[in-house]
Amino acid sequence: MSSLFGTMSVALQAMLAQQSALEVVANNVANVNTPGYSREVAVMEESPPILSGNTLVGTGVTMSSVQSVRDNILNLRIDQETSQQSSLNSYVDSMNQVQALFNETQGTGLQTYLSNFFNSFQSLATNPTNSSLRQSVITAGQDLAGAFSQTSNNLATIQQGLDQSVVQTVQQVNQLTAQVANLNQQIQEVSNSGDNPGSLEDQRDQDLTNLSNLIDTAVVYSNNGTVSVTTTNGALLVSGNQSDALTTQVNSSTGMHDVFAQGTDITSSIAGGELQGYISARDDSIPSTQSSLDNLAAGLISAVNTQQNAGYDLNGSSGADFFTPFTPSTPGSNAGAAASMTVALTNPDQIAASSDGAPGDNGNATALANLQNQSLVSGQTAGDYYSNLIDQVGNDVSNATSEQTAVGLVLQQLTNQQGSVSGVSLDEEATNLVMYQQAYEAAARVISTVDELNGATLDMFTPS
Amino acid sequence: MRVNPDVYSVILSGLQTNTQQEDQALQEIATGQKLNSLSDDPAAVASLVVQRMQSSSDTQYLQNITSLTGSLNVADSAISSVVEALTTAQSVGVEGADSTLNASNRHALAQQIQGIQQEIMGLANTSYNGEYLFSGTATTTQPYVADSSSASGVTYNGNDSTNSVEISEGQAMPINLPGSQLFSNATTNVFQSLQDLSNALNTNGDISGATTEVQNALNYVSAQQTFYGNSVARLNNAQTFLTQEQTQLTETQSNTLDANMATAVTNLSQAQTTQQALVEAGAQVSQVNLFDYLPTT
Repeated sequence: MSSLFGTMSVALQAMLAQQSALEVVANNVANVNTPGYSREVAVMEESPPILSGNTLVGTGVTMSSVQSVRDNILNLRIDQETSQQSSLNSYVDSMNQVQALFNETQGTGLQTYLSNFFNSFQSLATNPTNSSLRQSVITAGQDLAGAFSQTSNNLATIQQGLDQSVVQTVQQVNQLTAQVANLNQQIQEVSNSGDNPGSLEDQRDQDLTNLSNLIDTAVVYSNNGTVSVTTTNGALLVSGNQSDALTTQVNSSTGMHDVFAQGTDITSSIAGGELQGYISARDDSIPSTQSSLDNLAAGLISAVNTQQNAGYDLNGSSGADFFTPFTPSTPGSNAGAAASMTVALTNPDQIAASSDGAPGDNGNATALANLQNQSLVSGQTAGDYYSNLIDQVGNDVSNATSEQTAVGLVLQQLTNQQGSVSGVSLDEEATNLVMYQQAYEAAARVISTVDELNGATLDMFTPS
Repeated sequence: MRVNPDVYSVILSGLQTNTQQEDQALQEIATGQKLNSLSDDPAAVASLVVQRMQSSSDTQYLQNITSLTGSLNVADSAISSVVEALTTAQSVGVEGADSTLNASNRHALAQQIQGIQQEIMGLANTSYNGEYLFSGTATTTQPYVADSSSASGVTYNGNDSTNSVEISEGQAMPINLPGSQLFSNATTNVFQSLQDLSNALNTNGDISGATTEVQNALNYVSAQQTFYGNSVARLNNAQTFLTQEQTQLTETQSNTLDANMATAVTNLSQAQTTQQALVEAGAQVSQVNLFDYLPTT
């Protein structure tokens, strides 16, 4: 049997429910500019009806929960693309440093030194006994060797810097995975107690996005509200409230840090995030550029020395090595040839311009100059080989830049889509505000009406 | 359908893309180059490197040609003087063959021939930039020295070799004639003929025979002299060719590298217009929302 007091309690519950809903609106409005915030909605539920006599009478409303509006699949797609974009960003940033070393658009790259070197022999051929022309050859050789070793050392410095970045990024990955594991635990606890873990989930989403900035991730949502995170190749990062830290260890053959997950080397299988960009520049592009540079240097050193040995210097002696001969540390490898390139000759008279011993003969100077048009490295002239090197470095960067633009567009669309699902709309919140406010006022009016009715009832017994 | 309430993110990314275009256009205008890093057009920069190697070589060939033209001209004019001197010697020989001359007349003429021989030896020892022009490749050795023990009165100390210099890619040109080839062959010898004439005059020997010998030597040296004229002509041809090639290479490089200012400026102003439109759109859009219309009490 229903009572006036029952009605009052229904109205009171309604007021409380509308008040809670207003809190949700307030929270949404407050977080309108918070990155990673997903809008929340108040979930209203009819209270279970009671039997009054023979009829079921409703007992009002409760706000059963607050739900964050999010699309987990969309979030995963965003994380994947973010991972790609970060990888490309860090790669392009690294390789921009590399391509700046080969500054051919400004005409200040190795080409000038190569040309000057060969031209100095060509010039010497016109006047082979001239001491200032001889000195010019030595100087051009020293400039060339200096340019090679400086470029090679700069490449090595960039590579070292990237190695440091790899180590630091791994530390950041470990911090984030630890946080995600921690949030997993909190979310599970909050869910178990029946509350909305929305803000914790937002925080975890933000961490997962940051994580996908650093490394490629595959995220699996469990029913208990936790997520497990692996790399796309299956290396475990987070499972429940446990995170597995990645470790780094110096590889003795490359001198660079390899990345390990639970004892397995995953360096080459990392497929996204800043880590991939750094590793790809550090382990592929730079070594390949460095090795081309070494091959070119070794080819030049050996060809120039051989030709120099075939001739005679100003004193009629057989030509001594022009460049310090390169001795490979591992047979068959030219590693280090560019970095260690130096001119061995100290006296300009030692240049073997003559092919027959007569001091005025220029046959060997011409032959040395003609090395410019001969195949020195991999069946190519020095100029062609260098031009291919330039092409390779430029293509590495320009391909990555084009991809960067494409991924950027996809990401922008996805983010927009995410905004349409989870973004806070002030118009919507204003509408809700009015709606809940009016419901609250109405419930209050019900209470005051019931109060009047109660008064009327009481007045029945009070003589006026 | 619910739309993304955050319109500013769209405007912001539009602005960023636009700023990139603006940057690119500005950089082109500032540097005057449309290529400013390898990745702007890798293939173009790679071919630029090859072209620069080529044009740098051409510059060197042109320098070689200038310096060779100098030495060839000096050699040529030395040989001209030798031919002139031999012509004088020949007419002296003709004069000496006159049977009315007495011994002292002939001695005087012989003296003159000796003088001519000295002069020719001096010319044969001409040097340019510190290198003897007629000593083969022994350019630091004086080619001819007077030698009374030699039948010709001189000794040749040079060698029989020649130098070649490249005047364009793969095209080498001999740049000298050794004295041994220039002044003598199996049947003729400039110095020997003068020595013979001088002896014949002194001893009243076969003066006209010796004069014929001088005539032969004169013809021989004149024939050799064409080498220098031909060489200078070859250098001129090569110079014309190289200059043309360089002009072409410069033009190609400039097409590859140089910014088209008109395009760059148009791009810049387009980017600026777009930017202005975006900024204005950003200012206009969503200036109000429903909250503005809620009653205030």
